[in-house]
Amino acid sequence: MGMFILRRTGVMLLTAICLTFIVFLMTNLYPNLEKLAKNEGNFRMSDAEVASFLGNRGYTQGKLQNYGEWLGVLPGYVIEGIDGKTRGRCSNHGAIVENTGKYCGVIQGNWGFSSRFKEPVSKIVAKRLALTGKLMFWVLAVMIPSALIIGIMAGMREGSRLDRALSTGAIVTTATPEYVSGVIFIAVFTSSAVGLKWFKGSATSAMDHATLENFLLPVLTIALYGMGYIARMTRASMAEVMTAQYIRTARLKGVSFANIVLKHALRNALIAPFTVIMLQIPWLLNGVVIVEVLFNFKGFGWVLVQAASNNDIDLLLAVSVVSVVVVLLTQLISDIGYVFLNPRIRIT
Amino acid sequence: MTKNNSFMHPAAEMYASEEKAGKLDRREFISRATALGVSTVAAYGLLGLDAPAEAGGHAKMGGTIRMQMDVKAMKDPRTHDWTQISIFSAGWLEYLVEYNSDGSFKPMLLSSWEANADATQYVLKIREGVKWNNGDDFTADDVARNIIGWCDKGLEGNSMAGRMASLVDEATGKAREGAVVAVDSSTVHLNLLQPDITIVPGMADYPAQIVHKSFTVETMVSNPIGTGFMLPENLEVGVKASIVKNEGFEWWGYAAGKGGYIDRIEFIDYGSDPATHMAGFESEEFDLNWETTGEFVELYDALGLVKSQVASGATIVVRPNQGHAPYDNKMVRQALAMAVDNEILNELGNAGLGVAADNCHVGPMHPEHNPDVTRAPFNPGKAKELMDASGHGDFEHELRSLDTGFWKDTCDAVAAQLRDAGIKVKRTLMPGSTFWNDWTKFPYSATNWNHRPLGTQVLGLAYKSGEAWNEFAWSNAEFDGLLAEANSLANADERRVVMGKIQALVIEEGVTCQPYWRLVQRHHVEGLVGVDMHIAYLPQIYKWGHAV
Repeated sequence: MGMFILRRTGVMLLTAICLTFIVFLMTNLYPNLEKLAKNEGNFRMSDAEVASFLGNRGYTQGKLQNYGEWLGVLPGYVIEGIDGKTRGRCSNHGAIVENTGKYCGVIQGNWGFSSRFKEPVSKIVAKRLALTGKLMFWVLAVMIPSALIIGIMAGMREGSRLDRALSTGAIVTTATPEYVSGVIFIAVFTSSAVGLKWFKGSATSAMDHATLENFLLPVLTIALYGMGYIARMTRASMAEVMTAQYIRTARLKGVSFANIVLKHALRNALIAPFTVIMLQIPWLLNGVVIVEVLFNFKGFGWVLVQAASNNDIDLLLAVSVVSVVVVLLTQLISDIGYVFLNPRIRIT
Repeated sequence: MTKNNSFMHPAAEMYASEEKAGKLDRREFISRATALGVSTVAAYGLLGLDAPAEAGGHAKMGGTIRMQMDVKAMKDPRTHDWTQISIFSAGWLEYLVEYNSDGSFKPMLLSSWEANADATQYVLKIREGVKWNNGDDFTADDVARNIIGWCDKGLEGNSMAGRMASLVDEATGKAREGAVVAVDSSTVHLNLLQPDITIVPGMADYPAQIVHKSFTVETMVSNPIGTGFMLPENLEVGVKASIVKNEGFEWWGYAAGKGGYIDRIEFIDYGSDPATHMAGFESEEFDLNWETTGEFVELYDALGLVKSQVASGATIVVRPNQGHAPYDNKMVRQALAMAVDNEILNELGNAGLGVAADNCHVGPMHPEHNPDVTRAPFNPGKAKELMDASGHGDFEHELRSLDTGFWKDTCDAVAAQLRDAGIKVKRTLMPGSTFWNDWTKFPYSATNWNHRPLGTQVLGLAYKSGEAWNEFAWSNAEFDGLLAEANSLANADERRVVMGKIQALVIEEGVTCQPYWRLVQRHHVEGLVGVDMHIAYLPQIYKWGHAV
């Protein structure tokens, strides 16, 4: 088990390095650097101004050199610009001061400085990840129990009227993308056009104080979409288990139906949905982009969009590292969880 | 109250007689007279009118106002490229002069200014009793240092250098020796290279915020030294920002009756989608918005919000860039302008919230506009003929624009009319984050331009050869000469003659399609005063307050 986790961690590191290198190459293409310069300086800068801006800030020294600096295996640049100011990577591309360190990469725990937000990347990622975490927590809290209940109820008597009704509902919610259901929710429950105005169509204030009024709609928008999907998986798995030999045996023994479902079928039926749920977490992390934009909730998805559209190199790299970690970590948890749910599988 | 100027520029009296004779409208008169150093009260007096009272008198002290606005990163005021940046720093950084929606210029950190008869010398008088919020006195040296700083062309992205061109030494890219002189602690003399009537309007523009001698970009938010009545509290780019009243600071404006009512202003960023803004307004998450555009004017009206609207020189240009083929061909450019009906663009692209314009970027809100020069007549048949004659009849034009709002709608309408005329065109939509990176370079695209007080100003920024914002890539010696001539003429009629030639030249060259002048408006909840839409989006937050 220990070996297994260690090996997975190694894979994670390798993936992160490969991915960040690719992202790094992409973001350091000259047109992207030009975009960065104009966003930071003045978006009406001339080409010569852009070139001097980039040169003064070490962006043109060569990609491997810059990547090494970001990693922290090479010392950060110190360049005396053509405007006479001396800048360095370790002072966030600003003027060098006395105690500026020599190395300032990820290995030293320095994730860089965001050009878009003018703040340390680690601070932004932590803050926005926490906000998305809050959103995800409530989404999962709503989505998982309701999806499992619906799936089990539908799957325990395949083909019954209850199954048909619940399955139809699940298909409808999962077939409705968030940008459709979100807009419908806003139109119906918040606008004066319909006149209900039960909830708020903007979750901006939920970043500080989440209430039922300002947070329910974004949570519901995401949860409904995932719920239908997980419910379908649970139903299929449950229906399959219910046709198994041992369930028939239990029935013939005279075990009550409730006992069969809860004690005999449930654990086996949960193996497949468990994987699906774990796979939903990385999806949530990046899939919330639409909902975050729609409801103006500034979480991780929003940061991703901002970083990408402003070519904020350090921030984009940190975002991709976080994504790699989340994807591989949830897979690890799902693999380990498997062992507990299914004793026939053993991890070596 | 502000001390009245005793000075009366001779040209102002001449303008007054022109106004009475109907040659100038009232806004043009106020704009020009005050730019020459005549106080607003005196200017209205010349017309035999009382100066209008300010609405601020009905505000009460205290309270919070929340505004929907893009929250952008702070930078040196001289390099501000969005008024949204300036409105945040306007909490503690003020202007020498302010420009108002009625076209007048009022002294702020100056108490008065005077121009000599041919507008080549200005005497700036510094307001008495102004202090920096660190306790320093505000003096003529501060003013001179800031003006010299504005002239620095070496600073990447400094747009003030263009506004101060008549003080700049072309060779060094800095202020000329002896151009800006602090004669005593309360007087600054400006000695211009040539007559320049735009220098005072330039000082009232949004990047012209006055900074302390200790100013650095890195510390401007963490160590906010300024003369204004507020201080920055927090700034989270793309999310929100707030400024709060500087308690205990004796702001000069309190004694001068300027206002300074509000305790706290919050700016909340809602992204660029107006539908999201509407959801925020309906959820009561803010009290006023930055600007209402297009169909949302009607929607917000229906919500019972208060509308503040002003007719301005804000506009859009749908322009070819002459640096790209086939737009180096005059016939192609003329055809593009001729094929579209500006009235229809105003109707479809701007929801009718404007007045049709004449494709020359000078209009009735500008003093020197010559109404006799009008656009090349709308004629789709002739346009197609011209296009075919130019040899580019089969060329497929690619018209780029932002993906929202009036930019998109206007360009869609342009494309539809071009197609009706038989000219092939393809539309490309881009998000703001990528569009603005190359806005001056696209072969054929649309850009919005803000209002500026004088007609010569935008022409100087965007149409003059070699200017950074010349998105038309237009280079025309005749135009440059005419513009310089216009900028040296204080007399309205003389200048209008030159402006007529300029307008005709811009239209004849098919430089741009400039379809309409926009009414600009914003909406707010009941019970706010002084938050009116400004004709040039200038930040006059000291006027903001809650109604008594």
